[in-house]
Amino acid sequence: MMRVTSLKISISGVRGIVGESLTPQLLAFFAQAYGTYLGGGAIIVGQDSRTSGIMVKNAVLSGLLSVGCQPVEVGICPIPSFQVFTKQAKARGGIFVTASHNPKEWNGLKFISQEGLFLNYHQTEEFLDIYHQGEFSLVEAEKYRIPKSKKNPTAPHLKKLLSYFKTGLISKRKFKVAIDCANGAGAVLAPQFLQNLGCETISINCVPDGSFAHHPEPVPENIAQLCQTVIENEANVGFAQDADADRLAVVNEKGEPLGEESTLLLASKHVLSKNPGPVVINLSTSQAMDDITRSFNVPLIRTKIGEINVVEQILAQQGKTAIGGEGNGGVILPEIHPCRDSFTAMGLILEYMASSGHTISELQAEIPEYHLIKDKIIGTQEQAYYLIRQLKRKYQNKGEISLLDGLKIQFEDHWFHIRPSNTEPIIRLIAEAKSHEKAKRIVSQLKNEISGIIKKKS
Amino acid sequence: MKLLKIGISGIRGIVGETITPELVMNFACAFGTYLDSKRVLIARDTRISGPMLHSACLSALISSGCEVLDLGICPAPILQYMVKRLKAKGAISISAGHNDIKWNALTFINQEGTYLSTFQGEEVLDIYHLEKYHKASWGRLGKLESIDNYQDIYFKNLGKFLDVEAIKKSELKIVIDPCNGAGAKIIDSFCKSLQTELVPINNEQNGYFPHDPEPRPRNAQQVASIIKAVKADVGFLLNSDASRVSLVSENGETLSEEYTLPLIANYYSKKKPGPIITNHSSSRMIEDVARETNCPVIKTKVGQSYVIQSMINEEGVIAGEGSGGIAIAEFQPAFDGFLAMGLILETIARRKKKISQLIQDLPKYHIVKEKIYCPPTKIHSVVNEVKKVYRDRKIDSSDGIKVEEKSGWVQVRTSATEPMIRIISEDKSKERAQQRAEEVMQFISPLVK
Repeated sequence: MMRVTSLKISISGVRGIVGESLTPQLLAFFAQAYGTYLGGGAIIVGQDSRTSGIMVKNAVLSGLLSVGCQPVEVGICPIPSFQVFTKQAKARGGIFVTASHNPKEWNGLKFISQEGLFLNYHQTEEFLDIYHQGEFSLVEAEKYRIPKSKKNPTAPHLKKLLSYFKTGLISKRKFKVAIDCANGAGAVLAPQFLQNLGCETISINCVPDGSFAHHPEPVPENIAQLCQTVIENEANVGFAQDADADRLAVVNEKGEPLGEESTLLLASKHVLSKNPGPVVINLSTSQAMDDITRSFNVPLIRTKIGEINVVEQILAQQGKTAIGGEGNGGVILPEIHPCRDSFTAMGLILEYMASSGHTISELQAEIPEYHLIKDKIIGTQEQAYYLIRQLKRKYQNKGEISLLDGLKIQFEDHWFHIRPSNTEPIIRLIAEAKSHEKAKRIVSQLKNEISGIIKKKS
Repeated sequence: MKLLKIGISGIRGIVGETITPELVMNFACAFGTYLDSKRVLIARDTRISGPMLHSACLSALISSGCEVLDLGICPAPILQYMVKRLKAKGAISISAGHNDIKWNALTFINQEGTYLSTFQGEEVLDIYHLEKYHKASWGRLGKLESIDNYQDIYFKNLGKFLDVEAIKKSELKIVIDPCNGAGAKIIDSFCKSLQTELVPINNEQNGYFPHDPEPRPRNAQQVASIIKAVKADVGFLLNSDASRVSLVSENGETLSEEYTLPLIANYYSKKKPGPIITNHSSSRMIEDVARETNCPVIKTKVGQSYVIQSMINEEGVIAGEGSGGIAIAEFQPAFDGFLAMGLILETIARRKKKISQLIQDLPKYHIVKEKIYCPPTKIHSVVNEVKKVYRDRKIDSSDGIKVEEKSGWVQVRTSATEPMIRIISEDKSKERAQQRAEEVMQFISPLVK
């Protein structure tokens, strides 16, 4: 029987559906567990723009206070800004209220360490042990701390961004930029940031009220309004953020979406031309990155899926990594902060346009052409691993097999990857090839094989 | 033994032991469900654990779909007054009143602005026990709004109710010690509205209680020590939610909290005669005062909920308890420290008498209040055992056991808020009052060991 749960507890934090699984009590338990894990102290609490944020945030505050922590509220804030702030504030850690790109009815928590990073595998395990054991360090009233709130939590992040980028070079070009914040947390910083880079900005969905004028995942089918805006205003480029502003999609000056895979490719080409060094990406990121790193003669390291896995590998390179990220529009520039950051991505692309003197469509044309297709089927982790075992047997000796995360098989000039999602009860299927038709063919063949395997089993 | 009291009008316990975010959320969810996801008010006193309970309630009420109007730090009587004015279906007051800083509590208030009645409270408890909490979907979550202009409305109406002209003319000077509780700072508005000069003590909303927030002589030393020096006419102590008051005379005499009710009744029932409601533990003074004006005295179990319900049902004019909580039906059905202070000022002004003289006018009794810890599992049987001491006497069992004598009485009952047995003894003679209390204490002590 297919069990689909509305609550996911994973390395990416907690996500659930408001009014179903995501109750005040559950949220308070997680905050108590995290406060206990961190052993008290100041803990920064921020949120994306979801309307349920107020319910979730108050549950978190209550849980943190009960275990003697001092919550420091910063309100609605992009998650990369939040991570930078947590590190600079010298807090014990942070809790960010978000369900990333999930639809409106979802919300959740992401747990941030003292360094402003997501918890790694081991930290997550330790923390979840405390949650499951339910032994929280409740303190008596005399030891309660007084909650605080801080304004302008984006300031340290903005400062880092502006000192990294050649603002003079970008400003001179007076770019016209269309920005779609998806009514997410990015809206509190994006217009200001672009203005500081001397861009003329046309903002849409720029009120951070969680109304989500469109699905907050920056994939081509969700950003038609932005494409239209680029055309109508004759903008040089269009940018689309997701609800917590860690991912970015790009629209060229003709109003055509590049596909979120292109964001990291463009950003990487620019960074490597300035500062060649190792690149760290996950298993599902386009093989165009293999071509790019080869042309710059720098190593390419692939990791398991999940932002923290990429970040951990970047940190393991001890400062040598030039750039990292994920194909979903998540650009990580360790010099700013080891986290996915849509602002960094915007800055890099604008700087690339300014220094090269090329339009975005010209830059796009220079990227090796591959077509990546993402599909999914409903299924549990258990079912996913059954499928993986069967498929692995079938493709033995037919391609280069990686079991680092699910199953990835690399062929001559194409590959496919099957793995269970960390955040939703689904199995993801990803394939990439030189042409769209071929990638499509690979996915539909894979789906046929899967239904064959399932039929045989039952 | 963990201390938690779940009663009809709310929950009370020790923070970090029994008062946890989960328990608070469960009760707030139950109350939100009971209110059918309608509008609800919330306020807290200044206790440092307050923000924890406050956030837990906000989250739970929003999740149950209630529209929440947040009054922030606000005295309970003002919160209760605002319920009707803001057309709310109910309210939650976060305060443990007179208990020390270790404690906190939720009190549930109905749409009339009074503590939940037995029937209403039981309904909330049923929802809590069944855990049938309404969970609103994301689009139907409650909205949250902060309200801050309510003080003016309250004091404007209090000013209309009192004889402000007389108070103003008397040019009174008063000392108030709100114990850094919810009354702090708000006493400034109170005095301004009555044009009375204020000498405040412990007037910060910081939740650090310089003494137990219980208005009674043993906590009145600070007020007593300055009252003569500043030449004030009267001194007041408030509990942490400003529902109860005790007095200090102009000579610096710390007055028992038992005086507050008879003092006010002695003035107000002459202005407006009618039934006076009190509990079985309050001083006999009130009966003597009522006799003068021929007002009936009706007695209930101890607790604001019972006393106020009785005031509503019996069409009482005044209700109050010996602990210093007073309500006047014409103003609002809630114990109200500001109203009590205001009426005492009005009495001083209209009678043109010093507070010490007004006390002289009251009959003299000596009251002894003792309490002894008893495990909750046997508390009622221990109280019942005490009947053996009074084998041949007439015993009133309306609230614990009470034995009346010509010159006084003694009552033994369970505390509504703690696992304690309370012994209250009153007599014209101090020795007799003490002797009766000791007799009971000696009998109980071996039983609770």
